[in-house]
Amino acid sequence: MAIKNAKNVSKMPNFWQIDHKVKNIFGIPGVVVLSSPDAWDKFSWTRKFFEEKPKEGYFVWVKREVSFPLSTCITIASPKISQNLRNLLVIEKGIKAKANVVCNAKEKKLCGIHKAKGKLILKEGVSLEYNHLHQWGEKDFVSPDYEFILEKNSRLIYNYKNLLPPENLEFKTKILSKENASSNLNLVVNSLNSKVKLQESVILEGRNSQSIVRLRLVGREKSQIEAVSQIFAKAPSKGHLDCQGLMVDKTAKISLTPQLICHNKEARITHEASLGKISEEELTYLRMRGLTEKEATDLIVSGFLNI
Amino acid sequence: MKNILLKIKNLKVKSNGKEILKGVNLEIKRGEVQTLLGPNASGKSTLSQVILGNPKYKITGGEIFFRNKKITKFPPEKRIKLGLALAWQSPPAIKGVKLSQLLNKISPKGLNLSEGKELLEREINLDFSGGERKISELLQVLALKPKLVIFDEIDSGLDIKRLETVAKIIKKELVVKGVAILIITHSGQVLNFLKPHIVNVIIDGKIVCRAKKYKKVLATIKKYGYQKCKKCK
Repeated sequence: MAIKNAKNVSKMPNFWQIDHKVKNIFGIPGVVVLSSPDAWDKFSWTRKFFEEKPKEGYFVWVKREVSFPLSTCITIASPKISQNLRNLLVIEKGIKAKANVVCNAKEKKLCGIHKAKGKLILKEGVSLEYNHLHQWGEKDFVSPDYEFILEKNSRLIYNYKNLLPPENLEFKTKILSKENASSNLNLVVNSLNSKVKLQESVILEGRNSQSIVRLRLVGREKSQIEAVSQIFAKAPSKGHLDCQGLMVDKTAKISLTPQLICHNKEARITHEASLGKISEEELTYLRMRGLTEKEATDLIVSGFLNI
Repeated sequence: MKNILLKIKNLKVKSNGKEILKGVNLEIKRGEVQTLLGPNASGKSTLSQVILGNPKYKITGGEIFFRNKKITKFPPEKRIKLGLALAWQSPPAIKGVKLSQLLNKISPKGLNLSEGKELLEREINLDFSGGERKISELLQVLALKPKLVIFDEIDSGLDIKRLETVAKIIKKELVVKGVAILIITHSGQVLNFLKPHIVNVIIDGKIVCRAKKYKKVLATIKKYGYQKCKKCK
């Protein structure tokens, strides 16, 4: 199921790694695609971003605009695999790009580990839509740690969806925004029998930089979510956090901490946050349209996650 | 007995510890158009919600029968399957879910729409005007292919032209096809279009009047207020 959906997002990924093996890799005119160890050897300038020689992962360097989305797929297909990826995406000045990134497990009970540390460099005037989809097995441990560097006048739309959660998810995102750069983050986590730690931080360090962060968390059976969502304004800038959690099951626990830090008196950062259960009135309304309680709950949750 | 679609016997209902319905009796036959008039807070909307099985209300006495089945303890979805439907007075918004998604779930084969096409791709009831809400409710009710529809204040928030359009659809899609209707209203404007066979007046949780000539009852209420109906007891 996970693989089938992954294929829908990206039929022929530019980079596809299964377990530790690169299954598919292809560049296109204007776009360099390599494994990260090869990029370390071939382009010495990448070393400052990787810090140490990577063992696995991908390097995508967009030098020219392409009319279709770039795509990568990292899959766990065998039991007890432990991936440790270093990924790097660099987009040159003024390019408009879209990337579909899928990380998944082929089966439900592979007990895999997926650790990914990545940097995404958006040079001046770049516009990137980055769609990140996670679909994991019930026993996986997943830990992505990504840093986005938004140079002057760049734009980022980052959509993260985790609809099939792993047993453990530790998700870190950091966005560094330079002058006039802007970001829209839409992060969706559906938690079921899982422990989730989310930590996102947007640093507005350039004049007129701005960011909107929308976080939607769903706590289903036996799930625990801890989310810390931060905007740090260092320059005259604007930011808004919109964090909402839906408690679907009585065994769910959600802790949500919106954090605003302001070091500039010309900056304006705001937040709204809420945690609560599904409205009884909405449930009853949909049941009076013939839906069972479960169907009504699923429809309300799907709407809640639709940001 | 075969002709009777809905039968309510001595229904008593509490909400938040307060008795709202104090022994309601009501019968609706197949294909019949009835109305329920009453002042604010007389129990009209509560009655409609209880008939449809809203779990918020506690039934403390009495019984509800629909198509000869005792449905007093049925969940709402089971009542819908039997052919009951309710157009809400103030329906809640369902964020992120388009009206077309819900209509597809109710009726996967699709609907023949003459009104409300512009609402289909909007989130259900979110920022809908009063009139748009009524059209949306009507579309959902029609999709359910019901045998009895309760319209709770379908005329509130509608201008006279929109009201006429809504009444025409109700007539064409429901009344003519033999679907029974209960119109809850406190203004009575819609009745001139739908001409009910029977008018019921509810005051303080009890139906105090049941008559055939709705115009006469409306005129009395207009002239003397609901106080006169109380004396009718």
